[in-house]
Amino acid sequence: MKENKLKAKDFITIGIFTALVFVVEFAYMMLGFIHPYVILSYAAAIPVLCAIPMMLFYTKIEKFGMLTIMSVLIAIIMFVTGMGWIGAPLIIAVGVIADLIAKKGGYKSFKSTVISHGVFSIWVGANYIPLVVTADDYRKDMVDAGFSDDYCNILFKAVNGKTIALILLCCFIFGVIGAFVGKAVVRKHFEKAGIA
Amino acid sequence: MRKLELDPRTKLFMIFAISLIVMVNAYTPLQMVIRIIVTAIPILLMTLEGKYAAAIRFAVLYAAAFILQNYYLSAGSSGLLSALITGYCGIVAQFMPAMITAWYAIRTTKINDFMSAMQKMHVPDGVSISLAVVMRFFPTIKEEYESINDAMRMRGISMGGGKVTKMIEYRLIPVMFSCVNIGDELSAAAVTRGLGAPIKRTSANEIKLRAIDYTTMVVFAVSTVLFMAAKNIG
Amino acid sequence: MISIKDLNFHYKGSQDAGLHDFSIEINSGEAVLLCGASGCGKTTILRLINGLIPHYYKGELSGSVTVNGKDIQNCELYDLASVVGTVFQNPRSQFFSVDTDGEITFGNENLGIEPKEIIRRKDEVVSELELEPLLGKSLFELSGGEKQKIACASVSALMPEIMLLDEPSSNLDWKAIDELKKVIEYWKGKGKTIVISEHRLWYVKDIVDRVIFMKNGRIEHEWNREQFGKLTSQELSELGLRPTSVEEKYIEEFGKGIFSEDKSSDNNSIQRYENGISLKDMYFTYDIPKYFFRKKKLNAADSAQYTLAIPELDLPRGKVIGLIGKNGAGKTTFLRCICGLEKDCTLKITSDGETVSGKKIVKKCYMVMQDVNHQLFTDSVRAEVMLSMDEENREKADKLISDLGLYGYEDTHPMALSGGQKQRVAIASALAADSEILLFDEPTSGLDRAHMTAVAEMLSALAKDNRVIIVSTHDPELISLCCDYTLCIEKGRLKYLRKCQ
Repeated sequence: MKENKLKAKDFITIGIFTALVFVVEFAYMMLGFIHPYVILSYAAAIPVLCAIPMMLFYTKIEKFGMLTIMSVLIAIIMFVTGMGWIGAPLIIAVGVIADLIAKKGGYKSFKSTVISHGVFSIWVGANYIPLVVTADDYRKDMVDAGFSDDYCNILFKAVNGKTIALILLCCFIFGVIGAFVGKAVVRKHFEKAGIA
Repeated sequence: MRKLELDPRTKLFMIFAISLIVMVNAYTPLQMVIRIIVTAIPILLMTLEGKYAAAIRFAVLYAAAFILQNYYLSAGSSGLLSALITGYCGIVAQFMPAMITAWYAIRTTKINDFMSAMQKMHVPDGVSISLAVVMRFFPTIKEEYESINDAMRMRGISMGGGKVTKMIEYRLIPVMFSCVNIGDELSAAAVTRGLGAPIKRTSANEIKLRAIDYTTMVVFAVSTVLFMAAKNIG
Repeated sequence: MISIKDLNFHYKGSQDAGLHDFSIEINSGEAVLLCGASGCGKTTILRLINGLIPHYYKGELSGSVTVNGKDIQNCELYDLASVVGTVFQNPRSQFFSVDTDGEITFGNENLGIEPKEIIRRKDEVVSELELEPLLGKSLFELSGGEKQKIACASVSALMPEIMLLDEPSSNLDWKAIDELKKVIEYWKGKGKTIVISEHRLWYVKDIVDRVIFMKNGRIEHEWNREQFGKLTSQELSELGLRPTSVEEKYIEEFGKGIFSEDKSSDNNSIQRYENGISLKDMYFTYDIPKYFFRKKKLNAADSAQYTLAIPELDLPRGKVIGLIGKNGAGKTTFLRCICGLEKDCTLKITSDGETVSGKKIVKKCYMVMQDVNHQLFTDSVRAEVMLSMDEENREKADKLISDLGLYGYEDTHPMALSGGQKQRVAIASALAADSEILLFDEPTSGLDRAHMTAVAEMLSALAKDNRVIIVSTHDPELISLCCDYTLCIEKGRLKYLRKCQ
């Protein structure tokens, strides 16, 4: 492609995949309502699950900006669905960085795609940020709410200002793992069917 | 005849304010009152837009959760079940205001209005077009998923033969195929109708901030400030 | 108005479906019909006129296309938007907005037209096309025909001089086709240039001025309206075209049955068939009366209010039964209930003296859906067929696959196949599951004559194995080709089940 400007088709592609990623994420989040222990697994499971649509998305990226716009959209959706806006700057920042990394590989190199997806997956960790910022209140809520002290200790040992970095790292690692899983799925289905 | 419709920007501001409020626990009576007010306003707005069923549902749910949490709990209940019930009520009462507002904003805003609001806030066209596609694809994904789910039931593979990976694969892959195909056709149809023209988009329905919008924003701004201040005052 | 000269084109990465030395002149105000088998290049021509080739679909192109004095290759797509409008085949995938109002104004907003003018255009289109009842609705609630009408309106609102229609009737029942016909007539009355690509010829044959028959990317024949009207069905079938008149016969023969308000039905006199499969207590409604916590069980006593109420019905084996009825008469509900997809339906199915109900019904029946993409799950045809088996049997699967003419495709991804092949994969998995009742939901929408005949033959062959085959269809040609019985449903009630003449 000669031009580097995004076209209408690219915007539609971004929209479709953002919707898919969000639906996958939301479906898994709902499991968190069934049991709070599931919340702990968000940082691992969501990057891997979302990697399946994401890896297909990566095959459609040719120009800079698509990942960035996607991260902006995710930030907006998170905000509008009432999940707060504290994580928004982080989401957009990782979007831009992921875009730059993928661009370095010319949007074709698998190695930069993997790292780019790892970085991009950090957005999942943004869900935890409100938890950290409001940790005390949230914890009191949960104790009030009848969750055992032990559980809350585990959760807040896992989620606090110091370990948020670890959570983000966890998102990154599982994002990288997810990239391999997603790529395998894309090969198995979409490349074989000739649409990737 | 125009129903009472708020400007999308006002709705965004409401969400912004309310997501601040739900992040902090309410301790003082003043805070409690503010919470109830900011929850009641979107419910009221819903009824004004004719979404009666949803308004009643939310109102009842919120009231039930609120009462259970505040009275049932303080009655010194014990036992696992009641703890669990009050537990969920606590979460519901805490985050429900944000959910109600978000639901209100999403359900009562036309995509076109939202796009022109974004344009007025100087969001680039690329972002607003993509966002419109996201909104259009949520119902599409739902439709496609329902058909796929039917097909899975017909073949008795809903459980993926007991394998979690298969369960995910059978659901996700056909949905992705469908969405990609629909997306290709949609792109073609959209570009033949001028999408992507390097011209400033216009909007048939011009949005404007009116008195009611400013009033709502002021109410929410004041509520938020008071709410935060009340915590510090004690 | 439109001039294509010495055009050669083929799509990137594909050998066929191109155009060879194609030239055509279309005058202003002329209505032209493009016909011919699938893959003859009809769609490619439309894409050349609206600029999707070369700006959206890539390929090798030589020759020139001039539309309204503009050279397409040097135009941007958005410059063409107000000159050429296109209505596409699939109503589901061509709308961009979620609500009808937004969809009608979408094009004008993209082009930055003044809001007042947009509203004026919208009002004009709405009143001309009689769209008031559809305004303010979600597009997701509309039927295919209504969506297609909104698509026409959205294109019309841009006030282009040229209207292109790419198999617009593929997914429509004939009532909706009638509405579509009115829209096209309206455009013609306004002096627009119209190019239609279509397999169904009956509804356009009186509108068009010129008919162009294409084969392998070339023009084979050209007729004016009178000449085309004189072609016999024999001549048409030799060309591989669908007939131009059977639909009217259908309106006479079946139309009376479907659309007359005559109350008499054969409901009371259930005919018994030797070794037939009998359905009993088929009651279903979408708004189930509720008690506080549990749903009220559906029963015969309340059946007057139900969406679907068929107390008893006997279906003959070894025959193809065509399921007909108006849009919204309950055909789809009927099929869904037989498949066991509606859990609350009280249906009992008796075959060979054995009665099943509830969840077990699912095992007996298999539906080939209208959009067959929804029922393909695995990464190869063989795996897809074996998925239906209780015990995986590779030999049996391979035999089924080659029986259905898919030999050599065992390891291909089902999504890489053509529409007809996908349909056959779905049938193979139905056979692998040993289903006694096979249901088909609109299996011939958008097919050309050759493919439709193939489907008809396949249905007859499937019936021979003592199965019950039910085909829900709007396609009278399909009924005349393969159906032994017609089953007519009206307002969720059985109207008749009788032998075809």
